[in-house]
Amino acid sequence: MIEFAEWLQATPFSEAIQAAGWLVPLLQSIHILMIGVVFVSILMIALRVLELVRMDQGFADVWRRFAPWMWTGVVVMTLTGALLVAAEPVREFTSTSFWIKMLLLAVGIASAVVFRRSLAPLVLAGDTAHEFSPGIKIGAIATVVLWLAIIFLGRAIAYDIEIWGALSLSS
Amino acid sequence: MRTIVRAVPIVEAIHVMAIAVVFGTILVVDLRLLGLRDTKRPYTQVSRELLGWTWGAFVVAAVTGAMMFAANAMTYYENTPFRLKLLAIAAAGLNMLVFHFVTGRNVDDWDTERAAPAGGRVAGALSILIWTAVIVLGRWIGFTKGYDFSIPEDVDFDALGTGVDVLFDFDGAPPN
Repeated sequence: MIEFAEWLQATPFSEAIQAAGWLVPLLQSIHILMIGVVFVSILMIALRVLELVRMDQGFADVWRRFAPWMWTGVVVMTLTGALLVAAEPVREFTSTSFWIKMLLLAVGIASAVVFRRSLAPLVLAGDTAHEFSPGIKIGAIATVVLWLAIIFLGRAIAYDIEIWGALSLSS
Repeated sequence: MRTIVRAVPIVEAIHVMAIAVVFGTILVVDLRLLGLRDTKRPYTQVSRELLGWTWGAFVVAAVTGAMMFAANAMTYYENTPFRLKLLAIAAAGLNMLVFHFVTGRNVDDWDTERAAPAGGRVAGALSILIWTAVIVLGRWIGFTKGYDFSIPEDVDFDALGTGVDVLFDFDGAPPN
């Protein structure tokens, strides 16, 4: 894995991204702006599941309001994220936080897809009075915590040794 | 705070979570002002249910920001993007106040309209631009700030679980 990272870091593509001094900060800035879009979209949907906001709207309307922003944001973040990895592959691949973040991302995205699939009858029926089970509500809280963890790990990549000590892949 | 080496990353990470909520919730309200989303819901309904989240997150962002500043005040004070960022936040506040006392004065007249009147749309657009600038400037600080390496003598490096030479093996640039 580290050999692949070192190989990638030496490719012309990677070096081009590194050489354009403003490009990595720009990619990171877009990435951070999208965190706001994605996280608040997920937060709004979760809060609606918990019946804390937008009770004047059926759940399907709340999903339709925020899910597109969530999906688009995730796509943009995957693109900017991939380019950031391409610019500094060794730093990312030797970061314990990075790998845990990727794992949690997979869980987060997969759970969103599964949730969306289970919603299909609800969305089609336009059921405005639907109440979610306690299990789903706990899931909503867990989802928010999961994405907060993803945000945390994203920032922690730059501080892998400070955070993980001997568990850091770069130590 | 410099002595607790895990403190700065954790404070920074909480700062990122907080700004995500600040930016995201403000965006929802601004989109309503611009008549681009939630046009069937009254403006006051959109803004009121989010206000608490925005302010709560802003407090967390401000406190974590102050903590980071306190840990290394001079390097921030001398940093141009940092100064511009504070100015931008002040501009965002000014924008909000002007909107509140001018267009917001007769909000009942336009509350259920698809979009806010011109003043409200301008405020919404400015808000998005300014807060985007705040975030970009915030990231820019990380790339331009110096770092004060005069660590107090009683830092316990053994508690890190790894060699101090690994901790400081970069060329003097701060981790970004």
